[in-house]
Amino acid sequence: MPVRVTESSTPSQVSGTNSGDTSPPACTLLSVGQTFSGTQNVSSLQKEEAWRVNVRIQGCDLEHGYLCGTMEALNVPMADTPVVTFWEGEIVDTKNYTFYTGKWEASPEDDKRHWTKFPSFSPLLSQVEVDGGKSLDLSNYPYIFMRWKEQYFVNVGTDCGLTIAGFYYVCFSCSDGSISGFYYDPNSSPFQKLELKSTNEGRSGYSFSSYELQ
Amino acid sequence: MPSATVNKPRPSELLSRLTSAEPEVKVRALREVKNQIIGNRTKKLSFLKLGAVPAVAGILADSIDDVTDNNNCNNDSNNAINILVQSAAALGSFACGFDAGVQAVLDAGAFPNLLRLLANPNEKVVDAVARALRMIYQSKLAPKYDFLQQKNMEFLISLLNSEKENVSGLGASIITRSCETNLEQKALFDAGILRKLNSLLEGGSLSQRDASLESLATIFRNNPEVISKFAGPEIGRPLSSIIDLAKDRYPRTRLLACMCLIVIRNASPHFLQDIGIKTKLIHILLELLDDPGQVGDEAPFAFSSLIAQKEDLQKLALEANAIDKLHHHIKKGSLHPRRYEGILLALADMCSKLESCRSKFLSLQVLNLLADALTDYNAGVRAAACICLKSVTRSIKNLSAGYFMNETIVIPLVQLFLDPSTSVQVAALGATSNIVVDFTTRKSIFVQCGGMKQLVQLAKSMESSVRSNALWALKNFVFQADNRLKEGVFSELTASLLSSLIRDPEPSVQEQALALVRNLVDGCINLIEFVFAEDGLILGAIGRQLQCASTAEIGIQGMYALCNVASGNEFHKEAVMQLLFTQMGDKNQSFVIKFLQSNDSRLCTATVWTIVNLTCPSSPGAPGRLEKLRNAGIVSQIKNMVNDPCVDVKLRVRTVLGQSMAFGDN
Repeated sequence: MPVRVTESSTPSQVSGTNSGDTSPPACTLLSVGQTFSGTQNVSSLQKEEAWRVNVRIQGCDLEHGYLCGTMEALNVPMADTPVVTFWEGEIVDTKNYTFYTGKWEASPEDDKRHWTKFPSFSPLLSQVEVDGGKSLDLSNYPYIFMRWKEQYFVNVGTDCGLTIAGFYYVCFSCSDGSISGFYYDPNSSPFQKLELKSTNEGRSGYSFSSYELQ
Repeated sequence: MPSATVNKPRPSELLSRLTSAEPEVKVRALREVKNQIIGNRTKKLSFLKLGAVPAVAGILADSIDDVTDNNNCNNDSNNAINILVQSAAALGSFACGFDAGVQAVLDAGAFPNLLRLLANPNEKVVDAVARALRMIYQSKLAPKYDFLQQKNMEFLISLLNSEKENVSGLGASIITRSCETNLEQKALFDAGILRKLNSLLEGGSLSQRDASLESLATIFRNNPEVISKFAGPEIGRPLSSIIDLAKDRYPRTRLLACMCLIVIRNASPHFLQDIGIKTKLIHILLELLDDPGQVGDEAPFAFSSLIAQKEDLQKLALEANAIDKLHHHIKKGSLHPRRYEGILLALADMCSKLESCRSKFLSLQVLNLLADALTDYNAGVRAAACICLKSVTRSIKNLSAGYFMNETIVIPLVQLFLDPSTSVQVAALGATSNIVVDFTTRKSIFVQCGGMKQLVQLAKSMESSVRSNALWALKNFVFQADNRLKEGVFSELTASLLSSLIRDPEPSVQEQALALVRNLVDGCINLIEFVFAEDGLILGAIGRQLQCASTAEIGIQGMYALCNVASGNEFHKEAVMQLLFTQMGDKNQSFVIKFLQSNDSRLCTATVWTIVNLTCPSSPGAPGRLEKLRNAGIVSQIKNMVNDPCVDVKLRVRTVLGQSMAFGDN
């Protein structure tokens, strides 16, 4: 019988044969149509700088550990208009994806260095060092870890002088829908921090729309 | 050098010769009828119209008692034998691959006479009769054979035990056509039929092997119990003989063996797990696509049943270049409709689950080919093209890029909304539902093509499947759409139509109508006013429907519609409160309590979110609403859920309790 990782307990390894689902829980705040806004800190040694960022979730397929959406950067210095990119996410669900990226020029050391920046990751570290977190039961853990990789520019050409070569390590809090992230690109400033909060488009509460593919 | 042409007698002339008193003339006429109709549907039809089948059936009936002794070889007896053989053969030819012919043979009352003649002492007669009955049993119109009657089972066993190819083949055909229930499958197994069929597999002729493979597949279909007994030690190594036949030199045998193995695997997934066999089946079926005849027509359907719903097999098929090969056949053009339909359905199954398959398919620039198929004259092809499009358009990445929202696809698709075939209409609405989930600014293309107005019209259809699919497409269309598009949909639909759809007799229609309202009132806060139009017609309908929700899905969509309204201003929140407390059911209990106690965590989540919005601390009326919710027992019910096993429910419950504490509750 697997022991669930809960917010108050130390993470447990799944013992023996596990028949239950060890994937992170479904969360309405991380469903299609949900929007988030905040900033990405792009400061370098030379100057302090932060871009305002809006994110919208467009697709979610928990069975395949897949999430996607758009990211809009608002006050990008070299762009006349907000820059919108389409990104695809890998949900660390121990089934489709583990904490180890295994691509995009990210070594296990890079992975650990980024994941450990999230306080909610610390109970998971020891098991992740053993097997990338494959045997963790995340089904009751109120945080969802993901990697978001931008795939293309939606409204500007590739000659816009911006790069989407890197990807984000992301931690989502199921409690309040807040998102923290760190951009990783060996050729960009390290640890650019993304901080987003769930938005409600001028409403006094939460609204949820949905679509279903046939 | 010119040669003399032999004029064939005309059908009407032949028919008059059938009535001749001269046995030789009659036999020649029967033989001529048979020869003229073999493989010629047009000829069959023209003879049918002239009443040839009752005439031939009458000859058979009149001669049935004339042959009683196999050894009597006098002239009269020979004539009688010839008449029986030729009339049975002609009836068989009328029935061969032609349902109208089968129906005519059955209507003429020939079937019981043919059955009776199986017991005739003359071998030639028995052979011709068995062949005719086999032709009848190849059709769905064949009379159902009741295996559960002891005497029928004994007769069937006697057929299968026959040395004669047509007779044992008839036995197998009867099983293929008549065995439908698990009980019948079990009865055939208990009677030892599988052992007999297996011996035909191993030692029978080509046609016996084929007939046996078809019967085995029928007995195995969805019956793991019979399969495990068959594959067990009792019968030897039967699976390996079927696997061997999948490599046979005859294409039809290969196809039937593959189909039998697929039936086994689909019913009992623990059999045939070996990756080598799976790959082999994929390769054999893809090769069979090259067969120019019926085998090639059926191969894509068998391929579909192998890979449908199975990601592992879809991956293997992708590696075997299945998409390229299927695409290659479509590109060649001028396909038989059955084959065209099968290939499109096979592509649909290939692209149903895996993005890698969809990417491969789209990389072949196939949208134009699909657009052609959407306008094909054959309804099966049109429906299959829609189903294929539906699978491919599950690619969120391409939907996000607006790849499918273009006139090449949308115009023919919208035209199919008025297709005479309901299955084409529903399939077209399915594909449309996906395409209209467009995240770019291209949704207006759909309106310009007349699609939105058509969907509203179809929401009034007499067919409930059409109504619910039209609403499904509208729901997806308004998802994240701008205000102008939403207002366009609402004014076309009207509050009265939408409220009557919420109260539709069909639960699936109710669910989609509620989900449509949910999406309409999301986004800009002003959009919430839709539910207050015409004196709150829609809001009232939602309340009444939630009180008697027959499925969890109806509750979920209805509660999210209310949740979204409750995320508005004070007036909106108070209207929702009023609804929660005016719609009381048994024991004067609000449906809210019932939903909070539901086993469906999605329904609990939607309900708790509504309470979160009603008690949002930033709104001035929240303390009063909280008081009412407390008095109605809703807050204490929520307190009971603080350790709900569903994380989402638990966290939302904590939000409500946190908000409640902000107003001094503890």
